[in-house]
Amino acid sequence: MLSRTAENLFWFSRYIERADATVRLLEVGYRISILPNTDQGYRNEWEAIIESIGSKEEFIRRNRAFNRKNIEYFLLFDKQNPSSVINCFSKARENIRLARTAVTLEVWNAINTSFYEFSTYTGARYTTKNLLEIIDIVKRLVNTIRGTIVNTQLLNDGFDFLTVGTYFERSDFTARLIDVKYYILLPSSDYVGSANDQFQWGMLLRSISSYRAYNWAYGTNEYSYSRIIDLLILNMDCPRSLAYSVGKISEHLKSLVNYYNQNSKAHNQAKVIFKKLKSQTPDQISNYGLHEFLESFLVQMDDLYDCLNQKYFRGI
Amino acid sequence: MYNEVYINNKVRKEYKHLLANIGNLSPDVIKRKKSEAEDIIRNIGITFSVYSNTDMTEHLIPFDMFPRIISASEWKKIHDGVTQRALAINAFLRDIYHTGEIFRAGVVPSDLIYRNPAFDVKMIGFDVPHHVYAPIIGSDIVRTSKNDFYVLEDNCRIPSGVSYMIENREIMMRMFPDIFQQMKVESVDNYPQHLLNTLMSLKPKNCYGEPNVVLLTPGPLNSAYYEHTYLADTMGIELVQGNDLYVEDGITYMMTTVGPKKIDVIYRRIDDKFLDPLSYDNSSLIGIPGLFDSYKAQNLTIASAPGSGIADDKAIYSYMPDIIKFYLGEKPILNNIMTYSCYNTEDRKYVLDNIHKLVIKEVHGAGGYGMLIGDRASKTNIDLFKKKISKNPSGYIAQPILDLSTVPIFDNANLSERHVDFRPFCLVGSNFRKLVSGGLTRVALKEGSLIVNSSQGGGVKDTWVLADKDAK
Repeated sequence: MLSRTAENLFWFSRYIERADATVRLLEVGYRISILPNTDQGYRNEWEAIIESIGSKEEFIRRNRAFNRKNIEYFLLFDKQNPSSVINCFSKARENIRLARTAVTLEVWNAINTSFYEFSTYTGARYTTKNLLEIIDIVKRLVNTIRGTIVNTQLLNDGFDFLTVGTYFERSDFTARLIDVKYYILLPSSDYVGSANDQFQWGMLLRSISSYRAYNWAYGTNEYSYSRIIDLLILNMDCPRSLAYSVGKISEHLKSLVNYYNQNSKAHNQAKVIFKKLKSQTPDQISNYGLHEFLESFLVQMDDLYDCLNQKYFRGI
Repeated sequence: MYNEVYINNKVRKEYKHLLANIGNLSPDVIKRKKSEAEDIIRNIGITFSVYSNTDMTEHLIPFDMFPRIISASEWKKIHDGVTQRALAINAFLRDIYHTGEIFRAGVVPSDLIYRNPAFDVKMIGFDVPHHVYAPIIGSDIVRTSKNDFYVLEDNCRIPSGVSYMIENREIMMRMFPDIFQQMKVESVDNYPQHLLNTLMSLKPKNCYGEPNVVLLTPGPLNSAYYEHTYLADTMGIELVQGNDLYVEDGITYMMTTVGPKKIDVIYRRIDDKFLDPLSYDNSSLIGIPGLFDSYKAQNLTIASAPGSGIADDKAIYSYMPDIIKFYLGEKPILNNIMTYSCYNTEDRKYVLDNIHKLVIKEVHGAGGYGMLIGDRASKTNIDLFKKKISKNPSGYIAQPILDLSTVPIFDNANLSERHVDFRPFCLVGSNFRKLVSGGLTRVALKEGSLIVNSSQGGGVKDTWVLADKDAK
C-alpha cells in the first residue's frame, strides 16, 4: 500500500471519530446548560467544553461570548474552526478521495453521502431548535460509515490503518474529557462527591455512551472517583477506555507486523503504553495525580504517532 | 439537420423498442427517475471540477436518461474508421521522431512539425516501448446525415470521459433494467480490463516479470480526478501522485508501507510539461525529478509517450487524410472536416470574408474555450476574433459550421431535440488494437447550442451500440 494511502486512511478515521466526539461533547454542554443550578463548580460550562478540545484561543479569536449559540455554530458549522463537524466530514471525505482506491465503493458512498447530508443542515435549515436532532444525525452518519467499513472492507492492512486511526482519536478524546472534568469543570476537590459532581459525571458518561455501562459494570449509579477512573482508563470492557483503545491500537499494529512480516517500533511503543496502563490501579493513578497521569499518557501517544509516521507514512 | 430518432415523423427502427418503453412515461415517473439518477451520481461522487478565477468547485455532471443508439452497421464504420486513425497516428509519431519519411515525401511540411511547440526534441531518435506512442485515443465524432460521420479531432494525449461511458451505463441499467433484457446492447464495463491489458503489454525493455502499472494523477483538484480514481480502482492499480514517487539510479519507485516498490508502467494523466521538473517545466511541483531519464533508460514506460500531443495539434488535423494514405495505403473511412489554416494567405482571406459561416478555433485551445461560432456570435466578438486572426494567423483555424445530429433529452416531462457528439476510446497495445463497443455521447443541453463541453453547459448520455443480430 502507498505510504500516503495509509496516512489518508488513518486520518480519515480520526476525523470521523472526531466528528462523533464533538457532537457528544456538545450534548454534554447542552445537558449541563439546561440544569437549573450551575453556580457550583466552573462558572461557564460552555467555556470548559471549548477548553477541553484545545480550541479556546481559536474560539476567542472568532467570538465574543461563550454562549450556546456561538458554541454550537463554532463546533458544528464554522469552516474556520479546523475541528468543526463540517470540517471533520469534509476532511474525512478529502482523505478518502485521495485514497479512493483503498476503500470499497460502499465506504466511499457512505462518507460522500454523509458529507452531503450534513452540508444541507448548514445555513437556513439550521436553527438552535433542532440541536439534539443534529447531534443524533451526526451519530447516525458516523455509525453508518463505521458499519460500512466493518461490513465491506477487506480485513487487510488498510483495515488496520483505519482501526488504528479510530482508536488514536478516541483515546485522545477520552483522556481530554476526563481531564476537563476534574481539572477544569470541577477545579476544587471540595466539590468531589457533591450533587453537582454526580450530575456532571452522569452527563459525561452519557456523552461517551457509557452511562448504562457504568451501572452495568459496577451495579450502582453512585459515582465514585476510583470507579470512574477504572471505567474510563483501565476497564477493558468499556470501548471508550484508554486501555481498550490502546489495546486495539496494539492489536492492529501487531497485525501489520504480521501482514508485512516487518517489525516496527510503533508496535513496541504501543505495547509499552498498554502494559503500563494495565499495571495501574485507580489508587496509584490518584496518588500520582490524575492530571499528571493523563498528560504523560498523551505525551506517550505523541511518541507513538511519531513511530507510526516514520515507519508507515514516511517510509522510504 | 439529421434527427437520429425520427425520420419523416416516424421512429427509426433502432429506436422503436426504446420509445415504446420510455417514450410515454408519465411526468411523475420521469421526475422520480431523474432524481433517482441524480442521487446515484451524487452519491457515487461523479463530479468534475470547473476552474474559475477565484474558486474551484465540484460539479455534478448533468446526465440525461434518453440513450443514444448506434446500430451495428453504423458502429462498424466508426470502429473501422477510429482504429484506422489510431494506427496511422502511431505510425506518424514514430516517423516524425525518427527519419521523417513523410516530410521527404512532401506530404506534410516539416516546418509544421519542427516549429510546433508540441514537438518534443528530446524524443527524437528514441525508440518508445513497442513503438506505441499514443495507446489511448479518444476521437471526437459528429454526425450530419445518415452516412456522414466527421472526426473533429483525435485526442491522443490524455483523453478523458471514459468513466462516464461506464457509469452512464451503470445508471441506465439501474433505471431501466427491463429494456436491457429486451434489447441487445453491447457491454462497456470490460473497458478497464482492456486498458490494463494494453498498459501491461507496453512494459519497458528492462522489465522481465509482470509489470507494476500505476496511474499518475495531478490530484483531487484536477477536473478529471473522479475518472482517475475510477480507472485505478477498476483496474486494481495504485493511484499515485508525484510526491509518492522518486527516481534513484534511473529506476522509478513508489513509497509504500513496506518500503520502496519499483514501477514499470505509468499511465499518466498529467501533461508533458509537469512530468519531470528536470527535463520540462522546472517550476512544476507535481513532477518527479529524473522520471524522464528513467524512461530513456528503458526502465519505465510513460503512456502516452511525451511528445505525442503533436498528433492532435489542430494544425496537423487537416493533414490526417494524407497521413492515413501515406502510412496505411488506405482511404480514410471517416471524414475530416474542411479546415482553413489562417496562416495560409488565401485561406485567411476566405475566413475573414466568410466568418459568419465558420467556426474559428484557437490552435491550442480546448474544452470549448477560445472559439467563435460565426452565425451566432455578437458583432463585437466577431470583430475581436478578426483582429486576433490578423495579429496571429498561425494561431487559428476555421471550419464550416456543422449541423450536428440531434437526439432528444428529457426536458422536464417533454422530449426535445438537442445536438450531440460522440467520443469512442481506442486502445493500442503492443500488437493489438481494441475499441470497446460504446463511447461517450455529449449533449448540448441548451436548445440550439452546438457546444457540448461539460465545462460549458453540456451533459452526457448513455450510448447503446446494438449487437449485430438486433440490427437486422
